Amino acid sequence: MKSISLYADNGSWLVKLHPFSKMFYLVAAILIPLIAGRIFMFAITVFASICMLGSARMLKKALPLIAFSFTIILTVFIIQGIFYKDNDSLLLSLGPVSFYREGLLYSSHIGLNILNMLLSFSILVLSTSPSELVEELEKKGFSPKLGYIINSVFQIVPEMMGTMHTISDAQRSRGMETEGRLMTRIKAFLPLISPVVMSALTSTRERAIALEVRGFGSKMQKTYLYSHPYSTADQIMKWVSILCLFLVITLRVTGIL
Amino acid sequence: MSLIEINNLKYRYPGTTELALDDISLNIEKGQFIGIAGENGAGKSTLSQALLGLIPQFYKGAYGGSVVVDGLTAKTAPVAELCSKAGLVFQNPFNQLSGAKDTVYDEVGFGLQNLGIEPSEIHSRVEDVLKRFGIWEFRDRNPFDLSGGQLQRVAIASVLAMNPDILILDEPTSQLDPAGSEEVFHTVDELAETGITIIMIEQKMEKLAEYCDKIMLMHHGKLIDFDTPEKIFSREDLMEYGVVPPVYTEFARKNDLRLPDGNYPVTIKKLLDLIKTGNFDCKKLMTSLGKITGPEFCDLEEGTGEKQNLIEGAVSEAAVSPESSDRTFIVEDLHFSYIEGREIFKGINLSLDRRPTVIIGQNGAGKTTLVRILKGLLKPDSGRLSFEDQDIASKTVAELAGKVGYVFQNPDDQIFKYNVLDEVMFGPLNIGMTREEAETRAHEALKTVGLDEVSRKNPYDLELSDRKMVAIASVLAMDTDVIILDEPTIAQDYKGREKIREIIRDLSSRGKLVIAILHDMDFVSKSFERVIAMAHGEILADGTPDEIFRNHQVLEKAALTPPHLVALMEELDMGK
Ligand SMILES: Nc1ncnc2c1ncn2[C@@H]1O[C@H](COP(=O)(O)OP(=O)(O)OP(=O)(O)O)[C@@H](O)[C@H]1O
Ligand SMILES: [Mg+2]
Repeated sequence: MKSISLYADNGSWLVKLHPFSKMFYLVAAILIPLIAGRIFMFAITVFASICMLGSARMLKKALPLIAFSFTIILTVFIIQGIFYKDNDSLLLSLGPVSFYREGLLYSSHIGLNILNMLLSFSILVLSTSPSELVEELEKKGFSPKLGYIINSVFQIVPEMMGTMHTISDAQRSRGMETEGRLMTRIKAFLPLISPVVMSALTSTRERAIALEVRGFGSKMQKTYLYSHPYSTADQIMKWVSILCLFLVITLRVTGIL
Repeated sequence: MSLIEINNLKYRYPGTTELALDDISLNIEKGQFIGIAGENGAGKSTLSQALLGLIPQFYKGAYGGSVVVDGLTAKTAPVAELCSKAGLVFQNPFNQLSGAKDTVYDEVGFGLQNLGIEPSEIHSRVEDVLKRFGIWEFRDRNPFDLSGGQLQRVAIASVLAMNPDILILDEPTSQLDPAGSEEVFHTVDELAETGITIIMIEQKMEKLAEYCDKIMLMHHGKLIDFDTPEKIFSREDLMEYGVVPPVYTEFARKNDLRLPDGNYPVTIKKLLDLIKTGNFDCKKLMTSLGKITGPEFCDLEEGTGEKQNLIEGAVSEAAVSPESSDRTFIVEDLHFSYIEGREIFKGINLSLDRRPTVIIGQNGAGKTTLVRILKGLLKPDSGRLSFEDQDIASKTVAELAGKVGYVFQNPDDQIFKYNVLDEVMFGPLNIGMTREEAETRAHEALKTVGLDEVSRKNPYDLELSDRKMVAIASVLAMDTDVIILDEPTIAQDYKGREKIREIIRDLSSRGKLVIAILHDMDFVSKSFERVIAMAHGEILADGTPDEIFRNHQVLEKAALTPPHLVALMEELDMGK
């Protein structure tokens, strides 16, 4: 069964980090350039994220995300470059269209912001198993019921895809054509919907009973199978993130930056 | 006070008129191993759910009387609290999964986490049960990617690991290979020794007889009898309740071999002891045994002439049509893997004709995978595969559907309509029958499996055993040349199994090829001419039931045991 989470354990140092340290980094990397308000700050965090992804051999998996963000950035670039409300100083003209400095600056702000967020999020998402993250959150007092729901969301989509596959097998094994031309496959898709939904609904009640039988409703304090102690790398990651964030805030408040 | 006290328990499912449980009263003591026997629909699963309070707390309906489990009243006590005392293994292992864990290891650990058990203890318990049930090597796999039997092992392990004081198991071995099912009984029996109370619903009477302290005989929601296996299985009216005694008991009855207390022995050990101490004529007993087992296994020296006749009789009885030796499926050098780099089949060669053929072997051997490849649902990595001299790879599954029918292992995977009749008509309509024709065929097929009167019902409202029959009917209605049955006897009682035997006999007498996968060796020896034994993705042996069941090396490798009567015959033979 395929998982919808993008996480894959490639054994790299990033995977071994505690989910929380990655979350500290995530928060710091997003906030620092915003607070600093300088474009070169984006360059620093983006560069840091790319280095981290690269050293953990995850850059290739992040590429589609980056490529996707670039299409958005490009659109913003063009639109704002031409139409931004404070456009004043002309940079270049291509026939009838002219690009302005203010617009381009503004849009690079937005663009870098998107890129920065995507990169720092992909560090967390690509290197952390969702169930581990949820488990660590639960240990810090997050509700297990909510935790279960988050976990099962990651299971439900692949499960439904699995059900779809089984039902399609059931249908073609009794003579309904589902293979071949695109039209046939589209036609075969429709009769799948209702049984898949139906089976998801019936399995909900069975799930509820199964959970009860497996002690999910128990009043006991839940325990956790895996513990993930903070390593030195975790400490460094956490404190560097926090310190940098504070540094930027102080610099900003004192007006130095 | 007894551990479990049931008083005048009555229950009716919502929207029905008949009582599913009808005035049941009994007490169960701590540390007992209780079996529940009875035909499909007798109320066995319903009772198991009432013990946990799932009835009436999850399933509404009319409820009367009382169930008290270790001081907790099942009607009102929080289900979570009841569940911490009693563990329930469901009939369908798919329904046992938590749906939040993506490895077998974590799935089994899930319940223990909820109970707040120390992690180190969880790790050791999980490792212990996984190893015990032979699924340790699959600990990192997603539970949804396991074979049916492997999944059933996970389901049992996940409840067992929670160490409940009371363990209720609803046909826990229905999809297990014989060695696996022996392991489950053995393990559970050990638990009973340590003071854990066991309540087990089972269709394998030989096993119930061997392990249970007492057996509840149920019929139409009523508790008919609650007594020792000897007393229950010696009842003259047992068949009226849809229960057949163990073969040993039947054999004893035929030869009037009684224990001192007047009952018949119910286990092979007791039977042999009785024969030894009683100085019975082994030869005479052997002949009588030969009559039950049929010609295949009768190899008495003096009986050779008779044996010859019997075999000829059997062959002519099967009314083999002239083209019976036709080759159907030819498989050459077949390779297959679900996950790249991990081959299930490393070059299988097989050629099938029209003899009724059964595939047996350990859980995860690749039986289901093999028939799904024959059906075209899975595409081999390499190798050649033809059906009636046509390359299967060049056809879509739907094009083959009119020729090859396949009944899935899990009926829930196959059924997708909201009405039994629509479900059964789906196939016939697709392969070009008119509506009237399809409807006639569907009704015929439903009559064959005995479900015509529920043709308007929603299949999801039927019991597992009936859903399996609906799945069979929906393939029968298509009247294909080949019928593949993947574990058709799951959840079936004696009558159901007889019905399926009848269907197989009828199909092959009409010249159709029946391929079945089974874990029930008694059924295998009675209904099939050709047996293919598989283990670890390989075909270990291919021959007549006689050849296979006498080959102990193969049996052991494939986690199989010989049919009960063959075992008995071998013991008697040695005694002689
Ligand atoms: N979807 C899947 N993905 C990965 N591996 C699978 C999948 N389905 C089955 N397998 C593996 O392939 C092997 C053969 O499985 P198969 O279902 O053919 O076994 P089987 O002989 O039918 O067993 P059973 O008696 O338990 O039904 C098993 O080891 C199983 O774990
Ligand atoms: Mg199988």
